[in-house]
Amino acid sequence: LPAGGVSLRLCSTRVALEGINKPVIDRIIRVDHAGEYGANRIYAGQMAVLGRSSVGPVIRQMWNQEKDHLKKFDELMVAYRVRPTVLLPFWNVAGFVLGAGSALLGKKGAMACTVAVEESISDHYNSQIRTLMEEDPEKYKELLQVF
Amino acid sequence: VRCQLSPPQRPLQASAVLRRVSDEQKKEPLASSSQQQFSSHPTDHQPEQEPQGPRPSYTGQGGQESEDYESEEQLQHRILTAALEFVPEHGWTAEAIAEGAKTLGLSVAAAGMFHSDGSELILHFVSQCNTKLSELLEQEQKLVQLGEAEKKPTDQFLRDAVEARLRMLIPYIEKWPQALSILLLPHNIPSSLNLLTSMIDDIWHYAGDQSTDFNWYTRRAVLTGIYNTTELVMMQDSSPDFEDTWRFLENRVADAKNMGNTANQVQSTGEALVQGLMGAAVTVSNAETSRAVR
Repeated sequence: LPAGGVSLRLCSTRVALEGINKPVIDRIIRVDHAGEYGANRIYAGQMAVLGRSSVGPVIRQMWNQEKDHLKKFDELMVAYRVRPTVLLPFWNVAGFVLGAGSALLGKKGAMACTVAVEESISDHYNSQIRTLMEEDPEKYKELLQVF
Repeated sequence: VRCQLSPPQRPLQASAVLRRVSDEQKKEPLASSSQQQFSSHPTDHQPEQEPQGPRPSYTGQGGQESEDYESEEQLQHRILTAALEFVPEHGWTAEAIAEGAKTLGLSVAAAGMFHSDGSELILHFVSQCNTKLSELLEQEQKLVQLGEAEKKPTDQFLRDAVEARLRMLIPYIEKWPQALSILLLPHNIPSSLNLLTSMIDDIWHYAGDQSTDFNWYTRRAVLTGIYNTTELVMMQDSSPDFEDTWRFLENRVADAKNMGNTANQVQSTGEALVQGLMGAAVTVSNAETSRAVR
C-alpha cells in the first residue's frame, strides 16, 4: 500500500481504512447508495406501468444500467464498512410511487422524470468529486475513478 | 536538539508536576521542568543512569532527544490501565484510580484528573476489551484465510465471539453490575452506546456480513439483544465456569437463526401464494375473454 493510500480490492471484503476521512466517505457512499437504490425503484415503478408499451425496452435498458450502479455501490459499501441508510424502506416505496406516478402521465412524463433525476444525480456526484479532490486527490484516486 | 512541542497536544505540564511531586517524595534529582527532558548537555548524561520514572528514555551522543514526551491522553490511558488491577478490591472508583497512579510512581492526586464516579475507568476498560476482541477476530480471520483453520458457521461464530468478549468480564464480575449502572447514566450513554454498536458491528463484519439493505440493521439489533441479555444472565450466574450463561447464549443464537429461517419461509410461502393467486386471476380473465369472444 502506498503510504496513506487506500487500496480497493473488490474480491476482499475490506479496504485499508487508515488515512481516509471516514465520516466524509461514509456519508458519500451512503447517500449515493440510497440514490442508486431509489433510481432502481423509480425505473421499477415506470416498468410496472409502461413495461408493455413501446418505450418499455428503453426503460428496461436504463433500469439495467441502474442495477449495475447499485451493485457497484453495494461493493463499495462493504469494502468501506459503511452502514446503509435507515430510510431504505421509505425510498423503496417512494421511488416506486414516483416512477409509477410519472409513467401514468404518459411516456413524456416518464422521460421527463428520468431526465430530472439524472440531472440532479449528476450535479450531486460532481460536487462530491469536488469535495474529494479538495481533500486529497491521491488518497481517493480509486473512489474517484468510480465516479 | 529536537523540540517535542506540538501545540495541539498539551505537552505535559500535568504529568511533569505529578512526577516532580513523586520525585520529591523519592528524593531523586529533578528533570528540567520543560518538555525538553534531556537538554543540551548530552555529555552530562551518564549512560548507566537509570531512566527516571516509568517512561523509558534514551539520549545519544549527538544530543538527540527521544520521543519521550507523551500526551495527556496517553498518560490517562496508562493510569486507567494500571487502575484496573485494583478494581476487584475497590470497585470502579477514584480509589482504584489513585492506587493505579501510585503504581506508576505518580501522586494519588492524579485521580483528580478523572470523574469521581469512575466513568472513564469503565469506558476505558470497555474500549480495551473491544480492541482485544477485534484483534482476536482479526487473528482468527487470518488463520482461515491462510487455510489453517476451518471457517465457522455463522451461529457458531457469533456464539464464540460473544463468549470471548463476555469472558473478559470474569475478573471483574463482582463489580460489573455497578459498572453497568454507571454506563447507563445519561452523560455516559453516548459513549457507551457508541462502544456497544461498534463492537457489534465488528463481530458481524468478521462473521462475514455483507448486507447492504435493511438486514444490516436487523442483524445488528438482534445481536445487540443477544449480547445484552446474555450479559445480564452472566451477572446472576453461579454455575461452574458460567456454563449456564453459555447455554443461554447458545439458545438465543439458535432462536435468532430460526427466526431468520421462519421469516424466509414466510416470505417464500407468501410469494408462492401471490403467484398462485395471480395465475388464477389470469386464467379466469382469459376464460372470461374467450367466452366473451365466442
